[in-house]
Amino acid sequence: MADKILKEIIDRYPRERRYALAVMQDMQRHYSYIPREGLELLAGHVGCKVAELYSMATFYKALSLKPRGKHIIKLCNGTACHIRGSVNLINGINRELGIAPGETTEDGEFTLELVNCLGSCALAPVMVVDETYYGKMTLEKLPSILGEYRKEAK
Amino acid sequence: MIITIDGKACECEKGEFLLQVAKRNGIDIPTLCHHDGLPGQAACRVCLVEVKDGGRSQVTASCVFPVDHEIEVSTNSRKVKEERGMVLALLRMRAPGSEVIANMCEAYGAPKIGRLKPVVDGDKCILCGLCKRACASLGNGAIETLMRGTQKYVGTPYDQPSADCIGCGSCAEVCPTGAIEMKDEKGVRTIWGSEFRLVYCRECGKLIGTEEYMKAAGNTDDLCDDC
Repeated sequence: MADKILKEIIDRYPRERRYALAVMQDMQRHYSYIPREGLELLAGHVGCKVAELYSMATFYKALSLKPRGKHIIKLCNGTACHIRGSVNLINGINRELGIAPGETTEDGEFTLELVNCLGSCALAPVMVVDETYYGKMTLEKLPSILGEYRKEAK
Repeated sequence: MIITIDGKACECEKGEFLLQVAKRNGIDIPTLCHHDGLPGQAACRVCLVEVKDGGRSQVTASCVFPVDHEIEVSTNSRKVKEERGMVLALLRMRAPGSEVIANMCEAYGAPKIGRLKPVVDGDKCILCGLCKRACASLGNGAIETLMRGTQKYVGTPYDQPSADCIGCGSCAEVCPTGAIEMKDEKGVRTIWGSEFRLVYCRECGKLIGTEEYMKAAGNTDDLCDDC
């Protein structure tokens, strides 16, 4: 089953190495990570070694080799957000969800990532869940925001 | 064309690289990442020289500097010594476990940098990438540089034994700092987490390679080059 979807994603592109990154992005979008079989199939498709693709996949932050949560929480830890207390939010999220930066909750709902700047320092500290920005974040706001996504999941 | 290296007139062809010309003329330029079979690496920056051209001078990596007109080169000027020393001192921080680099630091007077700490204690790799190029150029492509920035390292996909590795040992052979672990013991070679059966010449008993390497090389009669 998984193989069929992977094949479909891969077959959208010509058998040339320069499309490898585009294919990996599509896999990332579909699975929220790049499955190992995906890398192996892709290597066969574009005619290069798995090591080359693996090197690319580890190089780009946008690509992940481990399954990620349904919702991606990006917490800014840039200069402005750091000074405005983003570290407290890291601890707050840890208390709420039990995950540290880079980790995924056991139920596969949330992944927490630290980013270096989201370009909206006026709203510091900033948190982004999926595509939604939450500015001037406080510990008090955390439970209700995360709760919305939890509800959605159920 | 004639260029001057350390006051010595050296004949060379247009387009030749400085390091090559110097070597041929018996002038020693230290280097780590240069390998004649895989030129153009220019990663370690140890082969720095000063090139004087008219009124201008520049310090540059000799392994990738093509000669195209008459220039004056110095491999030991004050500027070169300073910059090469710093490059070596930084490499020592990157690869504190490497004896080769420690000896070079000694020989070429690298300064001690107190304010920096070694990146990884005991590491020998300077991330020049020669090993992965050797592997790829042989058509195996089993190892690559993984991750990036301070986390960068050389390894196999998923840090597991790779089906692409044939145990030829080329990566360990070209590594300038001996960072790749390879063990030949009791007829078995261990490298990159895989084990390979070793094959010896049936005439003279010399080690030829691994079974997988023999298959890849199309050598079926188990004879070494000399027999």
